[in-house]
Amino acid sequence: MLPLAPAHGRVRAASPLDLVWTLVRTDFKTRYHGTLGGFVWALLKPLSMFVVLLSVFSYVFASDPQYRLDLIIGLFLYEFFQEATKSGLLSLRAKGFLLTKARFPSWVLVVASASNALITLALFSVVLILFLGMSGRAPSIAAVALYCVYQAHFFAIVTGFSLAASVLFMRFRDLNQVWDVVAQAGFFVAPIIYPIGVLPERLHIFLYLWPPTPIVLFSRSVLVDGRIPSALAHVLLTAEAAIILGIGALVYRWRAPRVAEEL
Amino acid sequence: MRRTVVVEAHGLAKSFSIPSVRRETVREHALDLFRRHPTERLQVLRDVSFALRAGESLGLMGRNGSGKSTLLKIVSGIYTQDAGTVEARVPLTAVLELGVGWNPDLDAIDNIELLGTVMGLSLRELRAATPEILAFAGVERFARLELRHYSSGMAARLAYAVAFRAVRDVLILDEIFAVGDAEFKERCQARYKELHASGRAMLLVSHEPRTIAAFCDRALLLEEGRIIMDGPAADVAAAYLALLTDAPSPRTLVAG
Repeated sequence: MLPLAPAHGRVRAASPLDLVWTLVRTDFKTRYHGTLGGFVWALLKPLSMFVVLLSVFSYVFASDPQYRLDLIIGLFLYEFFQEATKSGLLSLRAKGFLLTKARFPSWVLVVASASNALITLALFSVVLILFLGMSGRAPSIAAVALYCVYQAHFFAIVTGFSLAASVLFMRFRDLNQVWDVVAQAGFFVAPIIYPIGVLPERLHIFLYLWPPTPIVLFSRSVLVDGRIPSALAHVLLTAEAAIILGIGALVYRWRAPRVAEEL
Repeated sequence: MRRTVVVEAHGLAKSFSIPSVRRETVREHALDLFRRHPTERLQVLRDVSFALRAGESLGLMGRNGSGKSTLLKIVSGIYTQDAGTVEARVPLTAVLELGVGWNPDLDAIDNIELLGTVMGLSLRELRAATPEILAFAGVERFARLELRHYSSGMAARLAYAVAFRAVRDVLILDEIFAVGDAEFKERCQARYKELHASGRAMLLVSHEPRTIAAFCDRALLLEEGRIIMDGPAADVAAAYLALLTDAPSPRTLVAG
């Protein structure tokens, strides 16, 4: 016989973390088909990509070992940005079947949507730091800590974008295609394949407004160059992340109550 | 002694806008930026007020398009009303549109955890209850089978089983006994009675007068978005039948 759930007041309310964990776990399982091979591939993907890129770039840019590391860091961070923002944009539509079943904090769906990209980024970061350590360029504890802080900012930026884009996507059904074009063009705005110094300094401010730019440059700076950006640079980065997260939250709050009606 | 009110709705109104030209893309909005298209408003609910008390089973009847499903979604917090207030003083569990929208790439156990956590159960509760949920749905043998391989009836039975386990204080049901074979319907009915007997409040939508008369203490009759009758379930069921057969207008049957 099916047991009765304890009535309200006789049980502690379920934590939203249970929902977050279930979403992350089931997303991961769906993506890798719940097989051991899939799980191993999830672990191997960042490692194998790192090895492939390092091998290719070591050959192509043999005379400039600094550049190949800068390039690898830029490519991985931008890959995270593209994947996480795309998942976030589609998150409410993809999980719409849950929105019509019960009332729950639907922002959880948006935040959890970046989990797969976040797992890949975390694994890449471990591989990168281990590689730096093994090649005699081990970053300091402070540098690793700052790198983690930058990624937390990146996650806040991605979350802000995803909150806004996920609700707007319910109204503008081609927003994902528009975003694909913007993100592809943005790859060339961020100084990933070229050093920012090749552009006139007066243009730098515009490049920094594109969120991946400061994250990529600051991450390279602390991990590869061993230089810590200025306090003002950190303040500006935090302000940029806070503004994007804030605007995203406002747009989400404005549109979210009607999302179930737009499914 | 009068029982406490657990859900109270006051003056609820809801309308949907029906545009003459549907624009759904950035491109369509950009091209049509300065062109105005008339929009019609479809009024679905008008000034709906009612109270659900602890331990009460309240039925909701009405013809197709009378606003029943919209009212359930507003009470459940899924839709937002245009006007009026709805206050739920205890947690609600809604069984709406179940049987559709499972994640087809996940097996039954993972889907139980997904739907169960959305319905407010903790993972610990869900893991303890999973064998009973599978047994209630009659799908124990297919626990590790992906939902894509389930029939629509099996998937719906599983959804009902999760919702019946998740209910804490108030259960909201849309056409509860419309799923599965005779044996499963009987199991649902027994479960409904068990929940009612344990003091849970129920809000039940049905087109079936016998169901409302048998399972509800009181019922509301909705017509064109308004409550036109609020009274004993058997009387409302009879009024609904009269409404369908174009017998005397139900407006003349409003109690009091």
